[in-house]
Amino acid sequence: MKLTRKQVILEDLSNALKTATHEGHCRLGLLTSVDGTQLCSLVLDPTLGTAEYWETPLRNSYYRSLTAVLPETHWFERANWDLFGIIPNQHPRLKHLLLHEQYKRGFYPLRPQPLVHERAEDTDRQFHFLEVQGEGVYELPVGPIHAGVIEPGHFRFSCLGENILNLEIRLGYVHRGVEKRLTEIPWTKARFVAEAAASDTAAANALAHAIAIESLFELEVPARAQVLRTIALELERIAMHIIDIGGIGTDIGFLGFSTSMSRLRGKALGLAQLLSGSRFLRGFILPGGTKPVSAERLAAMLHTCQQLREDLKPVIAILEENLVATERMDSFGKVSRSLAREFGLVGVAARACGIEYDTRAHFCQGIYPKDAPPLSVEQNGDILSRTRVRIAELWRSLDLVEKLLSETCAGATSTTSSCIELPQQLPPDAVAAGIVEAFRGELIHLIVTGEKGQIRRYCIKDPSSNNWTALSIAIRNNLIADFPLCNKSFSLSYSGNDL
Amino acid sequence: MRKLLQYLLEQGVATQKSICPPLDDDAQGLPTLTASACSGSSCSACQEACPTEAISVAGSESNEARVSLDLGCCIGCGLCIETCPTGTIAENRSTQTAASRREDLVLTNETTELTARSIEERPTIFANSLHARVVSTGCSSCDLEIGAAFNPIFDMERFGVHVVASPRYADALMVTGPVGRGMQEALKRCYEAMAQPRLVMAVGTCAISGGVHKGGYAEANGADSILPVNVYVPGCPPHPWSIIHGVLVAQGKSTVGPAVLRTK
Repeated sequence: MKLTRKQVILEDLSNALKTATHEGHCRLGLLTSVDGTQLCSLVLDPTLGTAEYWETPLRNSYYRSLTAVLPETHWFERANWDLFGIIPNQHPRLKHLLLHEQYKRGFYPLRPQPLVHERAEDTDRQFHFLEVQGEGVYELPVGPIHAGVIEPGHFRFSCLGENILNLEIRLGYVHRGVEKRLTEIPWTKARFVAEAAASDTAAANALAHAIAIESLFELEVPARAQVLRTIALELERIAMHIIDIGGIGTDIGFLGFSTSMSRLRGKALGLAQLLSGSRFLRGFILPGGTKPVSAERLAAMLHTCQQLREDLKPVIAILEENLVATERMDSFGKVSRSLAREFGLVGVAARACGIEYDTRAHFCQGIYPKDAPPLSVEQNGDILSRTRVRIAELWRSLDLVEKLLSETCAGATSTTSSCIELPQQLPPDAVAAGIVEAFRGELIHLIVTGEKGQIRRYCIKDPSSNNWTALSIAIRNNLIADFPLCNKSFSLSYSGNDL
Repeated sequence: MRKLLQYLLEQGVATQKSICPPLDDDAQGLPTLTASACSGSSCSACQEACPTEAISVAGSESNEARVSLDLGCCIGCGLCIETCPTGTIAENRSTQTAASRREDLVLTNETTELTARSIEERPTIFANSLHARVVSTGCSSCDLEIGAAFNPIFDMERFGVHVVASPRYADALMVTGPVGRGMQEALKRCYEAMAQPRLVMAVGTCAISGGVHKGGYAEANGADSILPVNVYVPGCPPHPWSIIHGVLVAQGKSTVGPAVLRTK
């Protein structure tokens, strides 16, 4: 959606955000900056399906931290410090998030001019973990390289016996400079970098990117493209939910189940390949529409999709009916609804705590918000709830893809083009955002253009940025042996957070 | 449990019999160069379309035109194949794309036959057993494809390959992702912890060259700049069969396969 700038002065920002999010229906989408001389807040209003873009000029490179008033800003403030050198004074736990010892002091990649240090004491880039003290308390470091085949990150557990008293998560190992790169290359090639922000979420990233670019031009894409995009988005959700539900089986030790799920995931990836030529839907969604798809392929997809549902039914039933498996998940890794609200959780993790938030029901993306699938919500906030939300969403996405495929195969839109040409030059001094419900939750791409139409700032807010905190909360007072399972139930992205 | 066992028995064997077959018809393969004459720098459509500067075109006369295509930089978007008017760049549907030398990934239209430059096939000490430590430094789709290579469909374990959870047990280090500054030290230490003889495999375009991330401030320019790499598996991400092919190359049981051109 195209956004207009609204000026909010620093003195008012905290109160304005508090009023909007606590008393209104709004939530804070992201908090960032363009070049380090201002704070930018994206305030989303799900009930109206709109968003406001607030700019707050900064006189200095520091301000009073918002975290005490709005806990959901704590992660953003840490990122802003690393990328822009903006210091949130009195932040309760100000630590580096993205750039660590490997980077020079005073290096702020997204600030055009080097910062003249106004405060002497700020940092050596060392990361100081929270020390839990007391008799018998020990620390267990894990990572950055994990035992399995997953992305890198460091977990520091403070334990008493088998009990985890505190988990601190250090990320940033896969920082690749994605946001900076997106401002350096022509926008026509930016989609490949945007997809690579987290390429297990390639379709959602491509869609958020495309929506942001099209909103800058204020152009609508053809109806056929909207349908194909929705199919792509849901196929990604289906494939990733299958692997995440299957992964739960791996961590319980229910291997026959997880192997069966990984075999069936192959079918879901086959559907993605039929649609786009790529098992991960790479390059399918582009600004202006989608790549063309023949009617034969869509018909073949409809057949495979129906087959996939039939194949999944008995396997999912095996998990749901297995008492050992369900009891293993029940009431472990709990996040309360109040904390979930305070920290602004999104996606499956939020819906498992009874928070009814799914951007598909609120913001334009593909065919949505029209025909958005019903919300899948659970109340307990534990591992079992998150798994149940995933299972419910899996069925609903399959329903939707089947419906869309049968309509497209039969409908009149099958002959129209699925892509329009966009102008070469982006409009100058404009702001636009793309908001998409990725399989992990609310994904935002924000683009701010400069006076010549160049991209001044490209900000990506992966759903994992909201949810990493939830993992720390959930594992408290659980056993070390519960951690892999709990971690899997959140299924968070390292690369999407680190960028 | 009885239900699960019954279900598994009913499903039978899912594993594909043929090893490293060509990609399905609906899949997008990597590009390759054919003998068709290129019209040179007066066209350069492929070079302009390429998002990762994997292609360079030189020479203006049509008979002297030289195209060079670096598969180690290619993310397989297919734009060059779409835009090429002369058919010089075509789609390669082969999954046997891994190479043991970096220069083998750079194709030119003067030597289009990949196999001519690949080295001799000779089983190594790892031919029947290769234990791999996977270190991810990237965006996870390569990791997911390595995971998929071990699923019942591809079943990489039948080639004697196992993933291990410590570098101490590992023969090969499989690196995915562009190895930005945050992971360089950890990757080096993992390599140093491995016993000799040891191999390094760069899986995916990012691990080979940095892909879309190369040249940035995070110095994410691939595993090559940190460690000696023995096997390169191009693709973004590579197909599970290509990853298996990479392992077969590491074991000395295969070399770069001939291109399988898509016929239009």
